[in-house]
Amino acid sequence: MAPHTYFQGEGPWSDADQLMLYLDTGSWRSLRPVVDAEACIYCGLCALFCPTQCMINKGEYFLPNLEFCKGCGVCAKECPRGAIIMKPEGECDASKE
Amino acid sequence: MQARSEQDARIMVITGNAAAAYGAMLCRPDVVATYPITPQTEVIEKLFEFAASGELDAEMVPVEGENSAMNVVTAASMAGGRVFTATSSWGLAFMYDAMLAASGTRAPVVMVNVNRETPGIIAVSSGQQDMISTRDSGWIQLVAEDCQEILDQVLMAYRLAEDHDIQVPVMVNYDGFYLSYLAGKVEVPSKKRVSDFLAVLNEQPKRQILLPGQPLGCGTHGILQGFVELRYKHVQAMERAKAAFDAIDQEFASQFGRGYGGQIEEYRTGDADIVLVASGSMCGTIKTVVDRKREQGLPVGLVRLRMYRPFPSEKLTQVLKDRKAVGVVDRSVGFGIQGGPIYSEVCSLSAKFGGASVLSFIDGLANTDVTSDHVEQMLDLLSAAARGEPCPQVTWVCMEE
Repeated sequence: MAPHTYFQGEGPWSDADQLMLYLDTGSWRSLRPVVDAEACIYCGLCALFCPTQCMINKGEYFLPNLEFCKGCGVCAKECPRGAIIMKPEGECDASKE
Repeated sequence: MQARSEQDARIMVITGNAAAAYGAMLCRPDVVATYPITPQTEVIEKLFEFAASGELDAEMVPVEGENSAMNVVTAASMAGGRVFTATSSWGLAFMYDAMLAASGTRAPVVMVNVNRETPGIIAVSSGQQDMISTRDSGWIQLVAEDCQEILDQVLMAYRLAEDHDIQVPVMVNYDGFYLSYLAGKVEVPSKKRVSDFLAVLNEQPKRQILLPGQPLGCGTHGILQGFVELRYKHVQAMERAKAAFDAIDQEFASQFGRGYGGQIEEYRTGDADIVLVASGSMCGTIKTVVDRKREQGLPVGLVRLRMYRPFPSEKLTQVLKDRKAVGVVDRSVGFGIQGGPIYSEVCSLSAKFGGASVLSFIDGLANTDVTSDHVEQMLDLLSAAARGEPCPQVTWVCMEE
């Protein structure tokens, strides 16, 4: 048996940028953070404040990992440019981003 | 082997608690976080004395409870430190979740647990129920027989816990009240000899540690298949710990002149028809009775369990093969399993070691002495079982005064 391994060593050490294992906790979200990439100034406050650390660094802006994001809205509250709005899931299209 | 000179070792008459503290001090821990509890308190007092006199250069953290003690040493271990703590009974129960964090994150913490009966019925007295209650915590659990072995096992515990191939926290157990406060002759090796013994740890690959400015998760992203992988690795490491402990024990013997046999100690088992399996300080008494019985021509022997987790299944199967009767002495109870906890595990091997009758003896609960009369009584029952006579499966020896 040669199972796939996620961890290099004995201990459960992981870098959330490289390795993120999660349960699907995004499917029951009622409000979705929608980022206006044009308005984003790439300050990183949303990523810093996100309680579940699910804001993904896209290089020039941040986007939520929607499989993990529970829609708490902390990122929208903290964004100094108002670049993130919380949109009801029913009004969003089914696509992930 | 005698100590080579004054510089190599000092011969002292000290309590088991002091022996544990000397053992820890000699291994030069970076962080010690402890909370006092009878019968362990003297371990901490001694360590603080060492820190005050400059003999121990460690960050001493006097916490507000055992839960914090375990969390502090686990965190310090994850940051790369060598750590030590000590507890007993109530304290062990209070740090249980933190113990799981230590083993789950594979932090090589070393702790002594001074065995005492567990909460519920207030019994400030000896018993192994606390150790038994943490059986499935993922820790390696060792059991010492006397004051010298307490010190020696602490040294071996660091070799085991910090071995790159193992990386599992280790708990060294010894009987509270009997060994904690009993003074015996102890050879205390020099720091130089201990650091020579531990030196091999410096040559192995560095384990992952947490460093400032390099945020990492530890145990935070291990769900689903990641969880399965980590559990599998932990279980495999526990299996490796058996042979590793045997090897460390042998190396210890060659460096310090004291060998204990590794996972188990066999005492006059060679041609024994009847074998007792026991652990801890009661083994001193059992050995005396075994000697007496041998003089009378009765082929009896003792197998002393030095490692409770991982359970030395292979070694026990080997040594218990083709005996006529096997008795297991538990200084604890198994709730709802008929017989003692160690008995039930020995029974699980009986299909492999042959047709011997296996009897359970509950003795020594709450400081009831495991006397030589008790041991004689156990051996009489085992002799009857060996002759094929019907015997009770479980005997509460300590209740039949």
